[in-house]
Amino acid sequence: MLDAFEILTTSGIVLWRRHYAPLSSNVIDSLVRDVFIEEKQKSGGAENSAPSYKKDRYTLRWTSAKDVGLVFVAVYRSLLHLSWVENLLAAVRGLFTKAYGQELRKPHTLKVDTAQWNPMFDALVNRLDTGSTRRQSDTLDSEGPTELTPPSSSAGDDAHEPPPVPAPLFKKPAIPAKKGVVVDDTTSTDATPVPTPDTSRPATPGHAASHILTAKGGPGKASRRSRKGQTFNTSAPASSGDESSAGRTLKGSGKNATKGKRRWDIDGMAVEGDDDGVLDYSAPATPGPDTADRELDVSDVNTSQMGSHTGKGQFVLKDLDDEVDAILASSKQQSTSTTTTNGEIATGSGLLNTATSRLTSLFRNVVGGKTLSKSDLQQPLQQMQTHLLEKNVAREAAERLCQSVEINLLDQKTADFTSIDATIRDSMTKALTRMLTPTSSLDLLRDVSSTTSGPGARPYVISIVGVNGVGKSTNLSKIAFFLLQNRFRVLVVAGDTFRCGAVEQLRVHVRNLSALSQREGVGKVELFEKGYGKDAATVARDAVAFATNRDGHAQVQGQGMLYDVVLIDTAGRRHNDTRLMSSLTKFGQLANPDKVFMVGEALVGTDSVAQARNFAKEFVDTKGKLRNNGVGMDGFIISKCDTVGDMVGTLVSMVHATGIPVVFLGVGQHYGDLRGLNVGWAVDKLMK
Amino acid sequence: MAKIEDLLTWALSPTISAILVTLIFSLTLPVLIHYYLYKRAVAKELPTFLLLGPSGGGKTALLTLLATGAASPTHISQAPQTAICQLPSTTRASEDQYRSENDTSSRSQPSILLLDTPGHGKLRHHAFSSLTSPAAIKGLLFVVDSAVLSSAAGLTEAAEYPYDILLLLQKRHTQGKTSKGPQAIPVLLVANKQDVFTSLPAGLVKSKLEEELGKVRLTRSRGLLDSGIGMEDDTDEEGNWLGEYGAKTFRFSQMREHGVEIDVVGGSMNGEGEDPGNVHECWSWIGANI
Repeated sequence: MLDAFEILTTSGIVLWRRHYAPLSSNVIDSLVRDVFIEEKQKSGGAENSAPSYKKDRYTLRWTSAKDVGLVFVAVYRSLLHLSWVENLLAAVRGLFTKAYGQELRKPHTLKVDTAQWNPMFDALVNRLDTGSTRRQSDTLDSEGPTELTPPSSSAGDDAHEPPPVPAPLFKKPAIPAKKGVVVDDTTSTDATPVPTPDTSRPATPGHAASHILTAKGGPGKASRRSRKGQTFNTSAPASSGDESSAGRTLKGSGKNATKGKRRWDIDGMAVEGDDDGVLDYSAPATPGPDTADRELDVSDVNTSQMGSHTGKGQFVLKDLDDEVDAILASSKQQSTSTTTTNGEIATGSGLLNTATSRLTSLFRNVVGGKTLSKSDLQQPLQQMQTHLLEKNVAREAAERLCQSVEINLLDQKTADFTSIDATIRDSMTKALTRMLTPTSSLDLLRDVSSTTSGPGARPYVISIVGVNGVGKSTNLSKIAFFLLQNRFRVLVVAGDTFRCGAVEQLRVHVRNLSALSQREGVGKVELFEKGYGKDAATVARDAVAFATNRDGHAQVQGQGMLYDVVLIDTAGRRHNDTRLMSSLTKFGQLANPDKVFMVGEALVGTDSVAQARNFAKEFVDTKGKLRNNGVGMDGFIISKCDTVGDMVGTLVSMVHATGIPVVFLGVGQHYGDLRGLNVGWAVDKLMK
Repeated sequence: MAKIEDLLTWALSPTISAILVTLIFSLTLPVLIHYYLYKRAVAKELPTFLLLGPSGGGKTALLTLLATGAASPTHISQAPQTAICQLPSTTRASEDQYRSENDTSSRSQPSILLLDTPGHGKLRHHAFSSLTSPAAIKGLLFVVDSAVLSSAAGLTEAAEYPYDILLLLQKRHTQGKTSKGPQAIPVLLVANKQDVFTSLPAGLVKSKLEEELGKVRLTRSRGLLDSGIGMEDDTDEEGNWLGEYGAKTFRFSQMREHGVEIDVVGGSMNGEGEDPGNVHECWSWIGANI
């Protein structure tokens, strides 16, 4: 069952909401932030598929109506699998836009009167709700349990009931039919119990699925919650089996040699006691008095529903059905016929026809006011994509940018006196700016000063990673120079214990930097190294401990922190070498850096995407969550920017692949050649 | 046929009646055309107030409260939103400041256009472009979440946006091309969410923000150069230093020389008592600055 359904505008105002269960507002907030603004996930290609997004225990599916600027979101628990939500979203979108679209198109509208919408929504849910199934493993979904439960019109009543139970397919064969202990198998109040044949109820799914889902259900006493959670899954044979077998042995005297009937109560625990309940569900129940009543009840409800809303009410219901059918049918048709429109570009035969059409389109191109269709955009977008590829943007990133521009511009009108090319350029500039602008800009000096002062003062740890030969050690010394000029004490750690000459290279850098800093009388820089062949993670950890000077090493007693910033260099590694990449995880956990920067060179081509992705996913903390809010690293340093001139597309590729912002640019081979990123400058260069 | 010929002959002949008819026609025709074209009367340009601030501050909720009188539930904004609000009857507009209280002549309260912009880092360009656009902005409402400011991390994050905005206002003033300079824009800092337990009062919000802005301007002046260094006309230090050049601490009063007046009020959406929300002070400031 749905937990919530909300209709909100692109400016964030909630026009209408329906909460079936309490839901905190930050679930939908994070959907908007992650998908629409930061675009960490593909926000849905076709208009008709409802993509899904997971947060905590919820799955959110959404669709949007761009012309009126609305977003429709349905929220339900991830354990359930509701297949009708897509249709519900499409139907709601169509009906709501039709009912309130006029009002919403007027400027300055903040609210719409949604009093009439509530019964329409209820009716829609009643109509489309086909029940839910508890999400099992994927192989079992193909058995289609929902086909056994007929969609009923009274399923809407379940809106206020506790979460439903899955279809009978996944229950163990022995189900009690005692009145008091009714395990409701179906989500709808059926008149008769569903006649499920014995053969379609294999015993193995229960066992097969259990090992996937019931990791906690070990033998012995499982907690009550896990037992409850296992009720609707195939009950773990281990736990319940043991109990029931224990129970059985206790009662063994009463049962003799025959296998005792096993019964389960609602919690999945074996019920001992009298077994005079009928366990066989396969035979259709004899139409007893209560079932007849229930049948009558259902039909009563039906007729009263149709009968009580005579005139206006009945009319509305019928209309609704027709409309909904039309909407669903059209959406299905749209999704299947995507390529037919492409073929019909120039249907007019004859020279005059094509000439006049070309002239009018040229005229419209110059004057503006042209509604853009797919065929209009195809050619210029192709050119734009080639332009981006020439600027060294990876193909994947260029394609995705062009697709997002196309989705934005489809069915929009061009402004006055702007051609299609200009419109596309403008839209692409906006898309690039949005992609390159970070959510919160990095102020390194501010971060360092706040960490190294105050009550919980500790050294600030920065580590640099990257593939071989991109300029890690050089850029690390540039950062060290920058920090030294701001009067911090820097400890450079030679974490590259593999490449020959790496430690000596850093020693030379540190010598130069200390000479420079002594000349100006600022800061202090030292090298921490343990030679070659050691594990980089332990070297890093020792270095941080040394800088913190918490337990007071033999050399320096009675002082606070020895160093303000610890800069850790690491060995270059290929991103497709799994052994070396996995050692990064251990490094990240032991050294626990405040910032992890990955260096990528501006000269690299399409490989940048794979590099960025592989490096980002290595930095997980001990709980398995990626650090820094799930992105992995804290920033990119793009080196050797002076060598590429205008072709700075690597910026875009790496940001697109991971969502991590670019923090520094290396523009030369001297210590002072480090710059921050100016988004306008970068976009200018890309669009030149 | 003959009649038409006669009519045309008369029209082109130098008779007094023909001249009079021509005069009347040529004078009234443009007037008629003017009325026809401007029948859909272009609305008088309303004074515009801009709502901005870090994400999660409550700007969209404030917009709905000011416009409709009741705060709607909101989520993160993706796009700017405008609304037309009318001053409540209890607030005096600046144009009425010399009227007596007992003046019984009927007058309608002026209305304003409120423009709400997204606060997310990637979408702040809407606010910046509104500030630099030619449309006249009468005032800026900067909404911050007072509860977030009580933690150090929240304070740091919340300070970079006001820094950028104030620097933009300062540059607008100091680097104006004409001698007259652009119209000064007053700023109202709304310390929102005062009903939350951990929120700071308005005075404390002001002093904390001033302190933090001082630190930010220090680190920005010492930070790395931008990669777009050749693009801007001037890169002198004085232009990029907020407030008084070389001063140790930053105070909002230092912005007064650039024509930026900053006031601080507290506000909350879920107020108890007779009024929903506590936005009297917002209204009185808006009324004073129309």
